[in-house]
Amino acid sequence: MAQPNLTRGPRAARGGWLRLNQRQSEGLFGYILLAPIVVCLATLVVYPFFFAIYISFTNRMIGGQAEYIGLGNYLYLMRQPDFVASVRNTVVLVFFVQLIKLVLGLGIATLLNQPIRFRQFWRGLILLPWAMPAFVAFITWKLLLVPQGGAFNFILIELGLVNTHVEFLSSKALAMPSVITASVWRGFPFWVISFLAAMQTVPKELYEAAVLDGANAWARFRNVTLPSIRHIVLVVILVSTIWTTNSFEAVFLMTGGGPSNATLTFPVLAYYSLQSLQIGEAAAVSVALLPVFAVLALIIAVLLQREN
Amino acid sequence: MIFSEEANDAVVERIEEWGAMKGVDVEVVMINENETVQRISAAIEAGTMPDAFDLGVDFALLLSQTGQLQALDDLYQQIGDAHGGWLDAMDAILASTDFGGAIYGIPYAASGINVLYRRVDVLEPVGEADAPATWQEIAVNSAAGQDPPSHYGMGFALSNVGDANLTTTMLQSWGGRIADDAGTTCTLDSPETRAFLEWITGAFADGLFPPGVTTWDGGGDNTAYQSGNALFIANPGSVYLNIRENDPELLEATRFSGLPAGPAMHIVPVTAKLRGIPASTSPEKTELAKDLFAFLAEDEFMEQYMSAAIYGPALDSQLEFAVFNESPVHIGLADAALNGTPGTFPDVDNAALAEYQTNFLTPRMIQRIVVDNLSIDDSIAETQAACQAIYDKHNQ
Repeated sequence: MAQPNLTRGPRAARGGWLRLNQRQSEGLFGYILLAPIVVCLATLVVYPFFFAIYISFTNRMIGGQAEYIGLGNYLYLMRQPDFVASVRNTVVLVFFVQLIKLVLGLGIATLLNQPIRFRQFWRGLILLPWAMPAFVAFITWKLLLVPQGGAFNFILIELGLVNTHVEFLSSKALAMPSVITASVWRGFPFWVISFLAAMQTVPKELYEAAVLDGANAWARFRNVTLPSIRHIVLVVILVSTIWTTNSFEAVFLMTGGGPSNATLTFPVLAYYSLQSLQIGEAAAVSVALLPVFAVLALIIAVLLQREN
Repeated sequence: MIFSEEANDAVVERIEEWGAMKGVDVEVVMINENETVQRISAAIEAGTMPDAFDLGVDFALLLSQTGQLQALDDLYQQIGDAHGGWLDAMDAILASTDFGGAIYGIPYAASGINVLYRRVDVLEPVGEADAPATWQEIAVNSAAGQDPPSHYGMGFALSNVGDANLTTTMLQSWGGRIADDAGTTCTLDSPETRAFLEWITGAFADGLFPPGVTTWDGGGDNTAYQSGNALFIANPGSVYLNIRENDPELLEATRFSGLPAGPAMHIVPVTAKLRGIPASTSPEKTELAKDLFAFLAEDEFMEQYMSAAIYGPALDSQLEFAVFNESPVHIGLADAALNGTPGTFPDVDNAALAEYQTNFLTPRMIQRIVVDNLSIDDSIAETQAACQAIYDKHNQ
């Protein structure tokens, strides 16, 4: 059988030992350019990802040997009241934070898209909470909300609205709303800026036509603005949902997951597991959320594909 | 790194002095001691462990079980001999069966000792000037002296922080036990635990705790006391150092005493701060690290260090330091180091108990009652189950 000659001929002279046509050559060149980032992704994202899944099925302690224990960590977690509470709290936190940020984001973005005075100033100002380091933001919120010396309690008592301290962070009823409020404050600028950027791409002619048709402001928002930016809205919701689900600082710095387990969320639960060096158990807490994230990531991918 | 900048600086200078003397390049990295577990865990996994480091006994227990620490029995003996011997508490703490008979850290101070602070300027006018002998007396004194919302009596954390594990000490003072003598079976479900919970949740219901104690962070008691919001706190000494420098009026109004007793026994926990050498350190650097530990243990330096730190003595020779005979808080720390109850007495100090404490199960058992309105029986049953699950995991 004749062997392919990989080293001779005009292509070989131009392209080395491998015979490639123009398209293949460009394709190969593309892969070569992509290779470094693929290697980086594989090293920094894919390997830790699968490693975390692997150790969640082991009893590994930090620095120790891993022994396969099947679903042992998951079964142990499921039996813990804290795990059930963390599922419930994470869902509540994410749902309300996203809902409020959506309403605020759309409302403020719409306002900032109007020709109001000092518009650039307001647009810059709105970014401040997001620009602030998370730990500074949440420590500040904690200092505002604490009973002793907290600004909110001082104001409420001075105004005579209450006659004793309000336990914003240490009462079961108010702890989660307080964390939600702080999380919304820190995160809503991202939504505003994203929606504002999307709104600025909506052709003005659509609004002019709507006005000619007699549409009022609400009708223009509902029938022109919202359909035009819906993909951005969905992507922002999904991305932010993943961020909020994984957010650690808000809960840990403000309540430590308490009082009792009223604000205990997945990341804080994983942190506590890691304190006793039980990395297998901590990984199981994180991996337990994987199916949810997988579905969200799939939705994002589909939406982006449609957008393309 | 501890609360005292002066003590931190003294250690850095001393290590650098040793490096210059030996011709060794040293790099001292100071980390917040509350982050030791995270930082060292990351270093182990990344293979970037330091050649020597400071750690607590609980962490040493966990690390020794995975072979991360070198045994230092010879150095322990050598330093002890050079300084008149170790205090009995140090020997007892390091004798934990989970260490397997080896010494995995060189104590440099007795730690974990809480001193009771009380506002005598408020308590004296209501006839409660004397140091309370029991926890129940603290509640009585608090009720007499407090004036909410200006100030409350019992400034003890009931949240998910290490300070709140003082409630485990209280529980033991009532005769309650976390586990049996074998350290394998959880024994929380007992009449003693019920009696303790009835007392502490009763005090909470009576409004003797400042608002917010169920979510205080590690500085909650410090803030409450220094802002005049709490009449009693239990603190190792950081508050003393702060008010000594910044608030002479509050210092004047404060009296210090040892932790009180409960109805069953008097528990004053003493643990130790250790210096350890990772298993990954080379033989040559191990010898250098041992030399450094001996250098750091010298009395001349330790006297300077202890006067700025918030620890009790670990060695006999340290009992002679002026600070342990002059400073009211340090006198209390030295007394506790000498007469306190080592480790987790009466419970067995093992990895399961360390995880129980890391998960803050005692304060959370209290939170379940005062926050979630669970009955005492239900809260005990739930905590007993969670506790037993931890012990079972470690006994597999």
